This record gives sequence, C-alpha cells and structure tokens, in this order.
Amino acid sequence: MSDMALKQEDVREEPPANLWRDAWYRLKQNRMALTSLVIILALAFIAVFGPWLTPYDFLSQDLIARNQPPAWAHPFGTDELGRDVLSRVIYGTRTAFIVAISVTAVATLIGIVLGAFAGYFGGLLDRFVMWFTDMTMSVPQLLLVVVINASLKPPLARWMEAQYLETLNPIYRNSIIIDFVLVFGSMALITWPPYARLVRAQVLSVRNRPYVTAARALGLSTPVIIARYIVPNALGPLIVAVSAGLGTAMVLESAFSFLGIGVNPPMPSWGNMIADGLRVWRNYPHLLLAPAMMLAVATVAFSFLGDGLNDALNPRGQK
Amino acid sequence: MARKNGQELLLDVRDLAIEVVTRNGPARIVDGISLTVEKGETLGVVGESGCGKSLTMLSLLGLLPNKISVIGGSATFKGRDLLAMSHKELRKVRGGEIGFVFQDPMTSLNPVVRIGQQVMEPLLYHRNMGRAEARKRAGELLKLVGIPGAEERLDNYPHELSGGMRQRVMIAIGLACDPALLIADEPTTALDVTIQAQIVDIVKELRAKLGMSIVWITHDLALIAGLVDRVVVLYAGSVVEDAPVDELYENPAHPYTRGLLASIPRLKDEGAEKLSSIGGTPPEPGRRPAGCPFAPRCPIARAECERAVPALEPVKGEGAHRVACFAAGEIAEAVA
Amino acid sequence: MNAMTKTEPLLQIEGLTKHFHVRLGAFGEREAVVHALDDISFDIMPGETLSVVGESGCGKSTAGFTILQLHRPTAGRIRYQGRDLAGLDEKALRPYRRELQIIFQDPYSTLNPRMTIGEAIAEPILFHKLAPKGEVKSRVERLLADVGLPARFAMRYPHELSGGQRQRVAIARALACEPKFIVCDEAISALDVSIQAQIINLLLELQRKYGLTYLFIAHDLAVVRHISTRVAVMYLGRVAELAPRARLFGNPLHPYTKALLSAVPEADPAYERKRQRQILQGDVPSPMAPPAGCRFHTRCPLAIERCRVEAPVWRETSPGHHVACHLAEGGGE
Repeated sequence: MSDMALKQEDVREEPPANLWRDAWYRLKQNRMALTSLVIILALAFIAVFGPWLTPYDFLSQDLIARNQPPAWAHPFGTDELGRDVLSRVIYGTRTAFIVAISVTAVATLIGIVLGAFAGYFGGLLDRFVMWFTDMTMSVPQLLLVVVINASLKPPLARWMEAQYLETLNPIYRNSIIIDFVLVFGSMALITWPPYARLVRAQVLSVRNRPYVTAARALGLSTPVIIARYIVPNALGPLIVAVSAGLGTAMVLESAFSFLGIGVNPPMPSWGNMIADGLRVWRNYPHLLLAPAMMLAVATVAFSFLGDGLNDALNPRGQK
Repeated sequence: MARKNGQELLLDVRDLAIEVVTRNGPARIVDGISLTVEKGETLGVVGESGCGKSLTMLSLLGLLPNKISVIGGSATFKGRDLLAMSHKELRKVRGGEIGFVFQDPMTSLNPVVRIGQQVMEPLLYHRNMGRAEARKRAGELLKLVGIPGAEERLDNYPHELSGGMRQRVMIAIGLACDPALLIADEPTTALDVTIQAQIVDIVKELRAKLGMSIVWITHDLALIAGLVDRVVVLYAGSVVEDAPVDELYENPAHPYTRGLLASIPRLKDEGAEKLSSIGGTPPEPGRRPAGCPFAPRCPIARAECERAVPALEPVKGEGAHRVACFAAGEIAEAVA
Repeated sequence: MNAMTKTEPLLQIEGLTKHFHVRLGAFGEREAVVHALDDISFDIMPGETLSVVGESGCGKSTAGFTILQLHRPTAGRIRYQGRDLAGLDEKALRPYRRELQIIFQDPYSTLNPRMTIGEAIAEPILFHKLAPKGEVKSRVERLLADVGLPARFAMRYPHELSGGQRQRVAIARALACEPKFIVCDEAISALDVSIQAQIINLLLELQRKYGLTYLFIAHDLAVVRHISTRVAVMYLGRVAELAPRARLFGNPLHPYTKALLSAVPEADPAYERKRQRQILQGDVPSPMAPPAGCRFHTRCPLAIERCRVEAPVWRETSPGHHVACHLAEGGGE
C-alpha cells in the first residue's frame, strides 16, 4: 500500500517552498506593492545618505537668491531665506524616517509587551491592560500631544540647561533634541494601543490553534511552545500593521510639525515646510508642492506596501 | 431501459468544462462532464473532494466563485440552455425552478434574519405572493419538512435551531417554489448519523409527495444506496461511470468505482483484517495526467490508458450502464 | 510483555468528570455549566483498540482530551502505570505526555505552518532527547518510511501536502515520541473515502509493529466495527454501553446503540430498500441542561416513567458487556 501511495506523489517535484518565500513571491506579483517598496527604499536611501546627497547645507541662507523658482542650480528652487528647498526636503525625509521608525519601534514594543502579556495570561491583567488601552484610545490625540508638549517641554528645557551649566557639554544646548524626544514620546504614547490590541488578539487566537494543543500533547514546555509555535505565527499581521503604521507616523509627525508642536524650525520637517509654504503658496507654489509631494508619495507608498504585505502574508484572505 | 426515449429529460448537461485561474495559469477542474436527469428521477453524483461535483452544480446556476468559469458545454433545463442565460433569467430559475440545499446549514442561513423571512424570500420574489400569504405558506413548508411547532418557529433566528433543524429549513427554502429540480450538495455531511437518517427520510417522503427530481451530491456511496435511482461517479473532473443504482453496486465496471466500494468498511459484514484501498491521491487540477485521469492509481492500467482518454460508453454495447474505461469489457467478463 | 501486564489495564479511568464553565448573554452575565463528561469509568487494556462512538456533543473528544490531561478533569482519576495523572502538575506530567500521544482530526491545523515536516517530526525527538543529535535525521527518515512517505518530504511544508499525507505526518510525529498509547481523535473523519482506508490500514499496521494501544474516537460505526477490540457508546457525557466488538454489533442492549446502528447506511441498494429503520426523533439535548434521569429518555422509543427520574446504573450484564439502561435485558436489575 505504501508503495502505491508514493507512486504518483513522485510527480510533484518543486523546490521546497517556505511561507516567507511564498509571501515574497506573492508580493512580487503585486505591482503596486513592489513599486511602493522601491519608492520606500529610495526614500530610505535618501534619508540615510542625506548629508552626502544634499547640494547645499540646509541651513545656509542665500539672501540674494530668495524665493527662486526651480532651476538647474536649485532643482526645487529656494525659500524665502534663500535656502535650497531640495536640501531641505532631503533633510525633511531624514526627519520623517527618524521619527517614523523610532515612534513605530517604541509603540510596537509597548504594544507587544502589553498585548502579549494580556493575551497570554488573560484574567485580571488582561482586563486592566485592555481598559488602559481603551482609555488611551479615547483621549483625543491632538489634545494629548499638546498637553504633553506644554507640560513636559519647560521642565525638560530647564533640565537640559542645568546639565549644560554643570557639564558644559554642547549637546545639552541642542534644542532639536528636546523636539525629538517630545515628538517621539508623545507620538509613541498615542500610537501604541492598536499594536497592543493586535498582538493580544493574535496571541489569543494562535494560543488556541490546534497545533499549539498538539505541541502541548507532544509534551513540549511552555517557553518552547511560545517561541516556536506562537510567536512566528502571530508575526504576520504585526508586520502588516507596522508597515502601515510607519506611514501613519509620518503623517502624524508632519501634522504636528505643521501645527508647530512637533519638529520646530530651523530643523526641516515636511510638516513645518508645508506650514511655511502655505503662507506664500500663491506666489511661490513650489515651496508648498515639494514637501507636500514627498509626504504624499511616502504615505501612499507605505499604505500600498501594507496592503500588499497583508495579501502576501494572508493568502487565504483573497480566495 | 430506454432512458432517453421513454422519459422526458429535465436536465441535460453536455461536455461541461470549467477552469480556474491559478498563479500557474488556467487549470481544468471540470473536464467534459455530461449527465442527465429525468423527470421525477433522483440522481446521485458521487466523488471525492476536488472531483468537481459541487462546481458542476454551482455552474448550472451561475454561482461559481471568482476566478472559476465555465469555458464550454451546455446545460439544457426544460429546453433552455442554463449556461447561455442572462443573469436576470438565471435569477428566475434559481430558487424558483431549481432549488438548492447547501452542505453547511450553519453558514448557509443568514444569521441575523428570522427563518420565517428566509423561507418567505423566494415566495415573495418568485411567486409575487403577499406577505401574509407567503408567511402562511412558509409555515406549511416548515411543517412539511417536519419541524415541530412550525408556526412558532417562523420567528426564530437560525442560531436558536439545531443543525438538523437548520438543514430542514434549508430544504424548506429549496422547495418553497415547488421546483422541478432540487440540487442537494452534501446536505447531511455536517450532521450526525441519527440526524442524517432523519433528513434522508424526510427527503424520501417529500419526493413521494411532490414528485420533484433530485440531484444528490455526496462522497458517501453508502448513504445514497437506498435513496437514488441512478449514480454518476466522478473522478478528477470527468464522469467515469454512470449506471442505475443496483447495477452500480452489483457490477461496478470502473476500477475507481470498484476501489471505492471495496474501501468502505461494511457494518453488516464482520470486519476484515485489512481494507482494500486505492493507493495514492487524486491528481490536482492542472496536474492531471494526459490519458485516463485514474491511470496513475489504477491497478490494471496499461500503456494505452496513459496515452488516451477513454470515452463514456455502454458497458455491454448498449444499455444505461456506461463507463469510461478501456478495460471495462474485460472486468465485466472476469466478474461474470 | 510479560504475563502480568497482559491482564493489567494500561489505563484505568475512574469517575472521570469534566465540566466547562461558559458565560452567556451579550455581556457574559449568565454563567452556565457544560456537562461534557459525567462520571465515566472504564479500563483500557494494553494492545487493544477501544473505540468511543457517539454523536457530536456526546463528550467523546473531551474524554480523549481529559485522559491526556489536555483538559484537566473536574473530578475522577486516570491511573497510568499506577500514577494518577490528574494529580500531577505540568512538569511532572511531561514524561507521561510523551508516552500518551494524540492524532487529531484535522492534520492541517495541528501542524505548525511555519515548520517543515522534518522539523515537526524532529521536535519531540530533540526535546525529549530520544536520540543523539547526529541520529535525528535518520530517525526522522525512518519515521517517514514507517508512515509510507519518502524521506525528501522532510523538506516540505504542511501546505504542500495533501490531507492524507498530512495525516501520515501527524502519525509520524506521534510515533516519534515512542508512545505506548495513542488517542485517535476523529483521525480519519476529514479524509476522502479512498484515503480513509489507507490511513486505517496504516494505523493497524503500526499497532502490530509497535504494540500500540489506541483509543479510537469516531462517529463512523462501520469504521469502528472494522478496527476495534471493544467499543464504548457515549451519549450526552455518559457512556451508554461498552462491549467487545462482536457483542456490541451483534447484540446491542442499549436503545441508543440500536438506533445508532440502525441509522448507518449500507452500500447495498437492495438491502437499503427493504431495511426497516428505526429513526430517532428529535435532537440531542443541550449538555448545558442535560435531562434528569436517563439522559437518553427524551428520545428513547422505550422510555418509561422510571427513566425520567432515575439515572440507570452502570452494570455488567455479561462478562465485558456493560450497559446503563433500566430496560436492557440480560442480567437482572
């Protein structure tokens, strides 16, 4: 019987597939997602190598060449202080990526820890964590950020000043650090709840999958089961969420910078560039267009990549 | 038995072919299926998962899922080709002249609509009945399928009924408009054996009362033995055997049918030590062999089986028992 | 196996009970108890196949899970080699878990989709240190050969296999633990007819080869008749009847067993047409509110007043034939 069982299975000869490889294959089939990936990689390249790519210093002013339209010398023109817009947009990309990646990383980390504990242990801990999550989600985001900014900025600034006086280390005079810490902190504090909920739901559903029961029946220990059975299977949706979350974080950062509670001038951010450009867009539309285009392209790319990853990692969803 | 002359054909499916679009290109799921249903006849369609039995029936009503489409053949129902009909015409046939009962009564009923409303739906749409009249008829239908306290049940939601009761509701919906044909797709597979016996019983009773034709799709040869008049056996998207029910169980002509029958443990015999089994697994669509689809698993396959596809022909030169096998004549002789 | 163990049961199940607490209502405000398993007792003899049959919700799968301590029992004892498994904590259980294995109904969902077949089979070998690291690969290949799969399947992922092949993998993984006892929980129900026969034959072959004991949980009585040594019929969390195969099928005593046998169709048109069926009316009551007295009385064609109030005792009517029914003949009250 066994010989017969093999007879025609031998026909199936394919390289052994792997779920990640399969997902990559499916992602490659999706043009939108692939294009988005290329755009994101290009933007990331610009962000990382920005200082070597910019034709000018993003701070150097050329008061003679103010508000220049795009030309060879300044492909995106210059702003009202005669600074090169291309260089500023490139630095803005740097800001956007630094903020998006750090914020998403912190938010995801909070989410994984809280969600995994809540999901795995359940009971009272679960209820408390979920209550806390819901509370956080119910507070208006903008309000929370304003409150954090208003209440934390002055003491932080005072602390930096004190540190500088004590150590004379110039790093404490850099106000950009305060901006970033506040922006990261407040944004991470408002963006973690969805990750916590997702991780909890994943852990809950995977924990009850038959293969986890099967692993218990094999006599495997709990850490082995978590590491080899629960975590790898709970990862897919989180990857999708993180990809989409990066785009959202960029929009948030721009929005806050636009409102002046995020990254402040002179450090370029797409958001504060848009804010500056908006005041003069009738006369110098390129000042608004350049950062706005960058922001639009980046967020659309992240959103399409997220969709593509979703389809690629959950093939059953499409059929 | 002069089938085609004596009795009127209700449904005549010819050379039906269905394809699915996969990432490796199109694959044939149904490859030239032909079958007929006479007026008042109960036909059993038997096959394992993936043989195309459900898709064949879904295609008749234009209910194929995405990426799966009919690419050839015809299906004449009461003189009209179902496959050539517009969506509008088909909608009239669905639930009106052809009733359908699905496998899973848990998911085939809308969970948020009262069952009375769901039974009334086809009456309101196809029969243009008023609500009061439709509700009265729905109550009668539920009584007909043996639901106790039928009238009160009209206001229940599906989750308030057991699986067996839900399947009865499905049958009531399928029969609401007195269809000429009822297609039942594995209607008892999800049910327990005592409930399955109830459902089979009620279908037999309804058939005697209403006289509709039935196509009963199943994987269970034992289940339909006492229920159907004729059996069509499908394998890998083709008809391999088509025979009157007694003939099929007594003198199965195709090696696949023989293998299937031999692999069923029988309750009335003492258990044998080893079940005879068919080796291997059915080929997936798109990976089917060039010749006879069963050749790779067939114990008596020979060279010609791997080259050509045998046609469905009468076993004894004539008659209603037809088989698609090059060696069928020899099997018949060896058995006789 | 010496003469002693032949008569000693491998597992003794005494008064095993499992209740699940569930919350009902939109806000989980009502609590209910599901009586999945109520006071069942039987022995499992080494080398036998004890089948447990019954309809969905009768508790047969819960019985398998509870015996293996995948569900902790509410009450009762499971004695294995003189130890009561119900009293052991997870760590103390581990060596027993290895010897008591399970094969599930759906082999797809019980294999980790992110592990190759080879990894899945090797896992228990490595974890329980059943072979030196260097020999694991050859051990996996031998196990694959045992279940009729070629060695190169070790590189495959579960989704690349057919249902029958996956079930073979699940069997190989259970075997990798070098078990003494395997619960087959509807292990062939999800498979096609022609594949079912292959897996049944494989299970029987392995039983002979390795001297395995099976608890075979199924709803298909024809299959059960084919492979069992003894058969237990369950209804609503209780065992209705337990007897050696020939007696249960030849001389069923409990009305439920009779009805169950009567409901099974035969692949024989002539026989089916003239067959007199006894069709049970109604549905299985909810295990959240099991009927008082005999739990079958709501559907029993023979039920008398006594059945409504008094639960029948579990009695042995002839050697090895147990039944719980007031009316069953063969042996006094």
